[in-house]
Amino acid sequence: MDETQLIARVRTGDDAAARALYDAHVDRVYRLAFRLAGDDALAQDFTQETFIRAFDRLGSFRGDAAFSTWLHTITTTVVLNGLRKVKRFRQREADIDDAHEVAANPRRAEPDLKTRLRQAIDALPDGYRTVFVMHDVEGYTHEEIGAALGVEIGTSKAQLSRARAKLRTALADFAGEWTT
Amino acid sequence: MTDQHEDQKFEQWLAKAAQSYNAPRRTPNEEMWARINAARRTRRVIEIRPWLRWSLAAAAVLVLGIGIGRWSAKTPAIPGTGPTNTAAAPSTGVAYRVAAQQYFTRTEVLLTEFRSQQSHGRLDPQFLASARDLLMTTRLLLDSPAADDARLKPLLEDLELVLAQITQLQTDPPPGQRSEMDLINQGMNQHSVLTRLRESSTARAQGVL
Repeated sequence: MDETQLIARVRTGDDAAARALYDAHVDRVYRLAFRLAGDDALAQDFTQETFIRAFDRLGSFRGDAAFSTWLHTITTTVVLNGLRKVKRFRQREADIDDAHEVAANPRRAEPDLKTRLRQAIDALPDGYRTVFVMHDVEGYTHEEIGAALGVEIGTSKAQLSRARAKLRTALADFAGEWTT
Repeated sequence: MTDQHEDQKFEQWLAKAAQSYNAPRRTPNEEMWARINAARRTRRVIEIRPWLRWSLAAAAVLVLGIGIGRWSAKTPAIPGTGPTNTAAAPSTGVAYRVAAQQYFTRTEVLLTEFRSQQSHGRLDPQFLASARDLLMTTRLLLDSPAADDARLKPLLEDLELVLAQITQLQTDPPPGQRSEMDLINQGMNQHSVLTRLRESSTARAQGVL
């Protein structure tokens, strides 16, 4: 059964079809939610909310774009709105974690690089970070990112380029890692 | 040329190194599906159009108003206070205040109970049923003219968020539920939800709001 037929059956209230549609997409939705949220409980909440909304609004899906594109538009909306709500809390948590990790990990090359990289990515402006995570970490194309975030492909490319430049500056101490 | 080559090297290195950024765990398919399915089933039962929601809320208040009206009509009149069953509008006003007061009291009790259940991480099924019931009432109130009250609306919105988070919890706690409960509690503290709820409850009881 192809996806169009599956969607038609979900619209008629077929639970097995809903489960099949969920199984086909849940990994990618959860992975993106986790990458952006950095927290399992939040990633699960965002994934659940994404699918609940998607099933609720399936009637408005016209099939002009791929279902996955439509679903990722919902995912990014749910995740970015959700993160805005918990940002202050997460920032406080991250500060505590970072302080703990810096104290617990003296200067060994790899953990320090990982920590610095994480801090540098976290410090990116929201738009840059989202595009960077989607493209460089999760392998989305600029077309997919543009559709999901409702921006032009050129904007997605420009934001990725600026994100990389900022990361390169932030990680200048580690230049030896990529020049050798 | 060298710069371009270096850019490429950096981009390749970065894409590889960044795989460690918020690296996801195994997707908890079954756990999430169980909750999604439960939410879908609940929505099928309670999904009501907004205009119908408000009609139901109005009807509920009216029914309560009529009940109080009948009750007060049967109450012997206090000499010198005039007839007791002629003022329909004030009865409805009283009914609304009684219904709102009951809602605030029940919500306050539930959130206080949540704090005590949080300490052992388990939730009673009856507790979750009450939370779902109160969430529905909160949404009805948010769709009603009660939400026109500039003091009441932010409180109702915060209560909706807290109750919605609580209704996502499970009686048999999966790993991580404890931290979810801590998160809800911290959110309540951050927004002083219980304090505002108690203040609102007291003010209503005294007829200030």
